[in-house]
Amino acid sequence: MERSIIHLNVADFAAAVERALDPRLAGRPLVIARPAAARATVFDMSEEAFRAGVRKGMPLALARRRCPEAQLLPPRPERYARAMRVLFETALAYSPRVETGRADGHLFLDATGTRRLLGPPMDVAWRLRREVRARLGVTPIWTLAPNKLVAKAASRLVKPEGEYIVAEGEEEAFLAPLPLELVPGVERCDLRTLGSFRLRRAGEVAALPLEALRVLCGARAGFLHEAVRGIDPSPVRAAGEPAPEIAAEERFAGDTDDEAELAAALARLAGRAGAELRRRRLTARRVRVVLHGADGAEALRRAALHPPTADDFLLRDAARRAAAAAWSRRVRLRGLALACEGLVFPPAQIELFPAAGEAGEGRARLMAAIDRVRRRFGEEALRVAAALPPETA
Amino acid sequence: MIALGVHSHYSLRCGTASPAALCRAAARLGYRRLALTDTDNLYGLWPFLAACRREGIEPVVGAALTDPRRGSPAALCLAATDEGYRNLCRLLSRRHLHPEAFDPAREIPRFASGLVVLAGEAGLLERLHEAGVPAAAAVTPQAILRAHPLRQAARRLGAPEAAVHPAFFLSPDDHRLHRLLRAIDRRALLSRLPPEDCLPATARLLPPAELARAFAPDPALLRTAAALTAPVGFRGPRLGVVLPPRPGETAAESAAVLRREAYAGAHRRYGAELPEAAVERLEHELALIARMGYAGYFLIVRDIVALSPRTCGRGSGAASLVAYCLGITNVCPLKHNLYFERFLHPGRTDPPDIDVDFAWDERDAVIATVLERHRGRAARVANHVLFRPRLALHETARALGLGEAEIARVCRRLPDFWQEEGGEAGPPEADSAETARLPAPWPEVLGLARRLVGLPRHLSLHPGGVVITPGPITDYAPVERTAAGEPLLQWDKDGAEEAGLVKIDLLGNRSLAVIRDALAALGENAPFRDPAGGEPEEDFATQQTVAQGRTLGCFYIESPAMRLLLRKCRVGDFDHLVILSSIIRPAAGAYLREFIRRLHGGPWEPLHPLLADILAETFGLLVYQEDVARAAVALAGFSPAEADGLRKVLSKKDRARALADFARRFREGALARGLSEEQVAAVWEMMMSFDGYSFCKPHSASYARVSFQAAYLKTHHPAEFMAAVLGNGGGFYRPFAYVSEARRLGLTVLPPDVAAGGVRWSGSGRTLRAGLAAVRDLTAELPARIVARRRERPFADLEDFLARTRPTAEEVRALLDAGALDGLGGGEDRAALAFRAARLRNAPPAGAPRQRPLFAPAAAGGRIPRFPPEEPRERLRREFAALGFLCERHPMELYAAAVAAAGGRRAVELSSRIGRRVRFAGWPVTEKLVATRSGAPMAFLTFEDETGLVEATLFPEPYRRFRRLLDEERPLLLAGRVEDDWGAVTLTVETLQPLPPPPAPARRGGTAAIRA
Repeated sequence: MERSIIHLNVADFAAAVERALDPRLAGRPLVIARPAAARATVFDMSEEAFRAGVRKGMPLALARRRCPEAQLLPPRPERYARAMRVLFETALAYSPRVETGRADGHLFLDATGTRRLLGPPMDVAWRLRREVRARLGVTPIWTLAPNKLVAKAASRLVKPEGEYIVAEGEEEAFLAPLPLELVPGVERCDLRTLGSFRLRRAGEVAALPLEALRVLCGARAGFLHEAVRGIDPSPVRAAGEPAPEIAAEERFAGDTDDEAELAAALARLAGRAGAELRRRRLTARRVRVVLHGADGAEALRRAALHPPTADDFLLRDAARRAAAAAWSRRVRLRGLALACEGLVFPPAQIELFPAAGEAGEGRARLMAAIDRVRRRFGEEALRVAAALPPETA
Repeated sequence: MIALGVHSHYSLRCGTASPAALCRAAARLGYRRLALTDTDNLYGLWPFLAACRREGIEPVVGAALTDPRRGSPAALCLAATDEGYRNLCRLLSRRHLHPEAFDPAREIPRFASGLVVLAGEAGLLERLHEAGVPAAAAVTPQAILRAHPLRQAARRLGAPEAAVHPAFFLSPDDHRLHRLLRAIDRRALLSRLPPEDCLPATARLLPPAELARAFAPDPALLRTAAALTAPVGFRGPRLGVVLPPRPGETAAESAAVLRREAYAGAHRRYGAELPEAAVERLEHELALIARMGYAGYFLIVRDIVALSPRTCGRGSGAASLVAYCLGITNVCPLKHNLYFERFLHPGRTDPPDIDVDFAWDERDAVIATVLERHRGRAARVANHVLFRPRLALHETARALGLGEAEIARVCRRLPDFWQEEGGEAGPPEADSAETARLPAPWPEVLGLARRLVGLPRHLSLHPGGVVITPGPITDYAPVERTAAGEPLLQWDKDGAEEAGLVKIDLLGNRSLAVIRDALAALGENAPFRDPAGGEPEEDFATQQTVAQGRTLGCFYIESPAMRLLLRKCRVGDFDHLVILSSIIRPAAGAYLREFIRRLHGGPWEPLHPLLADILAETFGLLVYQEDVARAAVALAGFSPAEADGLRKVLSKKDRARALADFARRFREGALARGLSEEQVAAVWEMMMSFDGYSFCKPHSASYARVSFQAAYLKTHHPAEFMAAVLGNGGGFYRPFAYVSEARRLGLTVLPPDVAAGGVRWSGSGRTLRAGLAAVRDLTAELPARIVARRRERPFADLEDFLARTRPTAEEVRALLDAGALDGLGGGEDRAALAFRAARLRNAPPAGAPRQRPLFAPAAAGGRIPRFPPEEPRERLRREFAALGFLCERHPMELYAAAVAAAGGRRAVELSSRIGRRVRFAGWPVTEKLVATRSGAPMAFLTFEDETGLVEATLFPEPYRRFRRLLDEERPLLLAGRVEDDWGAVTLTVETLQPLPPPPAPARRGGTAAIRA
């Protein structure tokens, strides 16, 4: 059956949301970063600032030099998350299969087989655009294609605004003249390898037989061979489909070499992950910690949990073990991510001889009580001292 | 009272205070004696002794010996006598040379005589007493409880118990610097430095009252410490001048051998009939050498020089006729008027030094042979590597977790002070407005780094210094081992000199290898094959090359400054070249201009009649180091030794104090001889232009001889010569500049070729072929492997080549881009070749079990696909990236349209535009940073286009504005005024910008810049 995938994308999402909330921001370059932080980096920026040379993740001082007239706003992630929810809910009215990433203004919607119910997918896309503009005050790009990969490539092509339709059977012809870097999933190392054979456009790579491509790119050949032809069978993940893991992440205001600050962040993330685990009546076998270095490199370590648990404090201790191992290089940290893996239902049988310090019956009750308090009075009502920023602790 | 356990910053990456600061602090706090016990070393011995003399403190020499198996301090060892000092050296040497077998409890008893030993552990104390060493217990405040195992053991053994308070810094404020040093040492983040890796803030030199308080529970400990060290009478080693005798010979025997050899050499140099002057000089020198006991030393150096057929004796040793006759040097001191007294005179108390250059690639083998020949009695001299501003900044930034990219970015914006990599750093500057605005934690980084500057970081090798001793070297000084396993003295060259150890400098010199290789390439046709014969300096064409400054590639006279000077002077004879290569010293700017004026016939008067004779050959100017000494003798009545002291002080780092004294004595002496105040001031000022490095005439003459040999080869055999220059890795310039020079000489430059070329560059007739080693990103062995396999049998095709030489994928890429595989391709383009190489690599290895996958085609990879057509510019861009230069043309040719659009002139046109403002687009070749008299940085830059070189001057203001443009290798558009100074044309730059692309139809990729 012909698939119809709509990609909805609000370019420069954070900047667009801020502008929608405050029309006075329009017309001037806008940079979103936390100015108070000692070593702030750019969180997002408007198209004008982008054209002046400002990029995500760039030190704020440099961004200011490149674009001195830019207006500066601190990032307000909760606003972007709210706007993202609105985007998501608007889309949900048209299909149960809506996939979003983080609060970054991207959304895939599977409109396959909805023609009888809602009309042609193109009309759905136009309506979506209208509704988003009405509800959020931002104008999204929309593209319509037989799969996610081609839809996303089309969005990159029309950015910062516009729409594009690629019909079934036209995928390869559509991609052929495009520079390879517009094809989603093609990475920098692929570009380098292919470039050394003077291959710069998707069509030039598509002209190679798979076995020749395998000579050039080895294991990447299979993916590239399909990608440059616009082949992408991956489904749009349905809304509410549980992610295989529970994850949370945090970015420091600037970057830090302070162990106390890292410890506090780990405690906060462990608390969030623990609450989510308990909400879903699950426990985790492992904690995974990814540390983002200020130089752009990442380090990943895991720590095991025996037995599987949803206890904030045990999660936190495991996360600290993993983080201590991951922070092996001499580098400041820009952010971190914590994920609980190996999600299982709690063991039915209670440990006969719980080891000292391990979550016993009492700890389970404590956790439940914390959850109850927070549900009733809000997240901030009850906090763990260890999760407070170092200077207030 | 005495504080034991004091460490200086020579306890590397731990202590923070210099020996001088320690002594100053100790004197201020009221200590009369100070025991310096650095961890396992005597690195700081000589600065410590000097500081003690200055502060009037009695030095106690010692070290904290650690147990290599545990890393913890085991014992303090203090030298009580000369024998104790020797034992301390032996212990420290054994600790470093055989760490795996070093057990303090076994080793200390073997070398305990003359030492005061304080053990820090109960076990060690017991074992020392069992071995009969009356060691004391080193009781720290942590071990002060009487129940402590160490104290119990001491009471049981009846050993004295002495107070030891470890001190690694001076004030509590130094603790942060100490932690930074520890973080650097442990490669840890400062914020995450484990507490056990650093010392508490109390580990500092305490005032006597606080020290007493620290040991208040048992004041007897301090009294014991004082009593133990009271009889220590050793105040530092007095070794005298330590000269190696020739093994197995007495001094008299050596003198006889020397006389015989010198005369034999004289006959080789001058023929059967010796000139009378030569005999007279030989007799004079031999008598003096014998009297001072240096005959063995001369012979040892002669034996070293004999290891290589082509050497260049440098330095003042070239003034000796004996050295010339022995073949140590190659310039006749009689013919060139070189004074022996510069090298050796009876009043001299410091050791003479003979320095010898070897071809750079032979030097290591020569040193290894010398160390082997004098095994156990020789070591290489160390270099104490200090934290330079740049290094300090990088290390500090890393310890605070900053990434390399950010460090590089911020560094570029910092004042010049922080760019300093070598040489002498200026005084650390205060925070400027610019640095204060840097984001956190940079202000903290700068603050910490500033305190780090000047601290020693680690030991490395002095490039060529070797000392040889009469007895085992570990009786004289502590010795370590280099990474390569060679014995390494713990002292640097200053320390070795103060100790009286005679250093022989065996240095590497690329040009000797260049001349050797060019002569080898010429084979039968080689000129001056006998290094003693042949006189390239008499050759007219060679003199023209020198006089016109066409000397790029020629030893010692190829720098932009020297080539400009040659062009201004328009002289190409040997005697003038000797003067020129001496007068170009850094601080002589004003005198240089005056010299050129006088050279071209400008009138001049001698500064004083007394100087007229001395400076006749140098137009009345002080040119050579020895001129300073001779002027001081003539004008101010200095004794030769005193005058030599003045000369030496001028080249020292911390000269201010000593110089003031010389200035006073010079003025008094000169006034007494009837000079006017103005004359005294003028002469003294000229003497001060010998600030920093300067040269003596024998040295310059030795070098000028090598310069002439190079210039001769360049003039008559350019292909062989340029191939040798490039094959030895160039010199002052990058290969890029030499390749351009070769093209200007009319040579055809061919790319490297695996089917035809060698490892190194080769040249003959009018062609130059790049060697395989010129390709960047190849492992060191690959080029030799390629040539060896080809010798077995030629490569049939690309697949044969790859199968037999096994390069990595990156190496194949580099060879392809450089054009080295074109000869194997059968006319296929480089993408197709790359495909064939990749296909072969992905095929299963020949020996693997033949299990064919079910659906795979027979030939893995299939036919060669058709790739998009090659763009010539892209091909050249890759060639440049792989080689660092282009073979067939100058990269500026690719910018012809842009240069024309910008109105740029060619390099050759500038000489016809004197005094006019012009635009010129060129490729940056080299940059020399200098400071104006007021300290502002400015730069001399050399640019190049396809027609020639342009020397450009950036004065401080334009330099400040445009210097960030100079970081990248790309064409720049200069605008400025063409100046003519005595016939040397330069461009004084007013503005500078990246060459803008031509406005013409913007074809995609057509303006892409070539970048390295």
